Amino acid sequence: MDEGVGMSETFHEFVVQRSAALSRTAYLLTGDHQLAEDLLQSALARTYRHWRRVRDGDPEAYVRRAMYHQQVSWWRRRRVAERLDAQPVERGGGDHTEDTALRLSVVAALRRLTPRQRAVVVLRFYEDLTEAQVAEALGCSLGTVKRHGHDAVRRLRDLVPDLVERPAERSGR
Amino acid sequence: MSVRLREALREAAAEVPAYPVHDRAVRTARRTRRRMAAGVAAVLMLVALVPLAGRAGGVGPAPAGVDGPTLPDRIGLPVFGALHATDRPRLGPASVIFSGQARGLTGLLDENGTIGIVGADADRYRTYQVGYEAPVGEEVLLSPDGRRIAAPGGSSEHPRVDLVDLVDGVIRHLPSVVPGSVTTEPAGWAPDGKSLVVRDTVPTNPERSAYANVLSLVRLDTGRAVRLLETEQLPIFGDPVAFTADGSRLAWRIGDKVLIADADGQSITSFPLPPETGLAGKGAWLPDGSLSLVSRDPDSTRWRLRHVDPATGQDLGALELPAVSGVTTIRLLGWRPDGSALVVAYRPDPATPARFDQPMEMDQRTAYGHVRSVAVLALAPGAAAPTTVLAAPEQVLAIDVADRVVHSGLVRDADPPWGVGGRFWWGIGLAALLLGGVLARRAVTRARGPRG
Repeated sequence: MDEGVGMSETFHEFVVQRSAALSRTAYLLTGDHQLAEDLLQSALARTYRHWRRVRDGDPEAYVRRAMYHQQVSWWRRRRVAERLDAQPVERGGGDHTEDTALRLSVVAALRRLTPRQRAVVVLRFYEDLTEAQVAEALGCSLGTVKRHGHDAVRRLRDLVPDLVERPAERSGR
Repeated sequence: MSVRLREALREAAAEVPAYPVHDRAVRTARRTRRRMAAGVAAVLMLVALVPLAGRAGGVGPAPAGVDGPTLPDRIGLPVFGALHATDRPRLGPASVIFSGQARGLTGLLDENGTIGIVGADADRYRTYQVGYEAPVGEEVLLSPDGRRIAAPGGSSEHPRVDLVDLVDGVIRHLPSVVPGSVTTEPAGWAPDGKSLVVRDTVPTNPERSAYANVLSLVRLDTGRAVRLLETEQLPIFGDPVAFTADGSRLAWRIGDKVLIADADGQSITSFPLPPETGLAGKGAWLPDGSLSLVSRDPDSTRWRLRHVDPATGQDLGALELPAVSGVTTIRLLGWRPDGSALVVAYRPDPATPARFDQPMEMDQRTAYGHVRSVAVLALAPGAAAPTTVLAAPEQVLAIDVADRVVHSGLVRDADPPWGVGGRFWWGIGLAALLLGGVLARRAVTRARGPRG
């Protein structure tokens, strides 16, 4: 089989299998479907360029790492125009149930974190990685992960007070 | 909070569709490849056209008339392909190191924590990659004589401090002196450059849900370590560290306190810091034996230096030096022969929502996201306003100056490198050789073809 064709086929197969999970992570990293699509496209394009080297290792980890770094890099270029609001986010309201409202508030609050803080939150609390694994995934020190994680959780607590568990919830676990 | 946060994140992600980006990603990748190929061809054309004389931007000889260590009055960004700290020709001692998020300090694709290094007596530049965001003056420190850079290195399994010698080009590894440590960072150089204070972070349980901080003073020749302090993990721990001029005592900040010990690790005293004050910086000890603090005027972004009695922490009043306005904070580098203080001033990033005229933790005031640029200012006794002695481009966000340069009091007219650096030309030379080899091989193959 021609090497180029084989490469395209294996890459296509990988994207078909993993794009749903990768899309979910991209959305949590950006908080916006359009930006998430752009982010995933950019990370996959980079992965495709290095597919020969990447495919025999852990291509999904490579895409994820590319997304984390791409997101921080984009933010650095955009951040002069961006202003991060320090006020609590509006509670997702209307006819939503309490859990739906909380989910909407969390997504809105995530948008108000810096990308590095957001990446740490997604890796720690969505991907369930340890701090050391987060440091490895982001290519930074454990101290940096701790600082961003600490800042992110404190900021989320300010923005979404409902995230703080009620005493009854904690004692029940 | 973590349980509810986990649940909320999972619910938010559950409804996300799979984005149909495969075809566009492949098209983008192919387009990028074509552009890169065109870029390489253009660079090769440029090499053929640019006269050799124009290439010396980053590697030229030192300007004449400069003798001894001096502070450049401005710094530039590392040029593309700048030589590394350990490349030949060796740089020799440095005057200044800097870091941030400007071009040349962050890597082409990923964050790589590049440190810019400027020669002590001429504007020769080098770079060193820490691998991740590491602000100089806090996590990466220039030795008092400018000869060595201490930077965090290794991994969480084998943490270490890397000591980069700019004179002989050797990188020496200093493993953590604390068993079980997952992070070790330099915190302060002793004035003679023979000892280093290091900060360690150690998990206190197998789940790594809690950590302790350890501060140690390590002799670099023998590796002997003196434990200065061990405590539960704190946001501000051993930053900054300030030695007396003779190296017999050192002061450091943890949380809202200043601690003072002798070089054998014997605690001498400690005192609490008033709100919105901090230990001034590595140059905090005054010649008269008092200790300087930085303090913010109420409801303002105006910072000034005060001094206290180190035995009791009693405030001895503001120093007769101009205040610095419109900054997130200042850090004291040291004192010049004319009695002026040299400080790093952090200019706020207008895009950040943070309020710097309101209480904020000191480590947040120098965080990259909050700062747009830094400058080194001289605060002369009796002067009405600070004088800028070193200007830096925007997004240079941290700077450290060798004590020897601070104490010389000398400033030179800077001429930062331009164009491209030495490594670029090495790469071009190698590419030309390879290209020549390929062309020669093709010519030989073609010549043999008809006979085959």
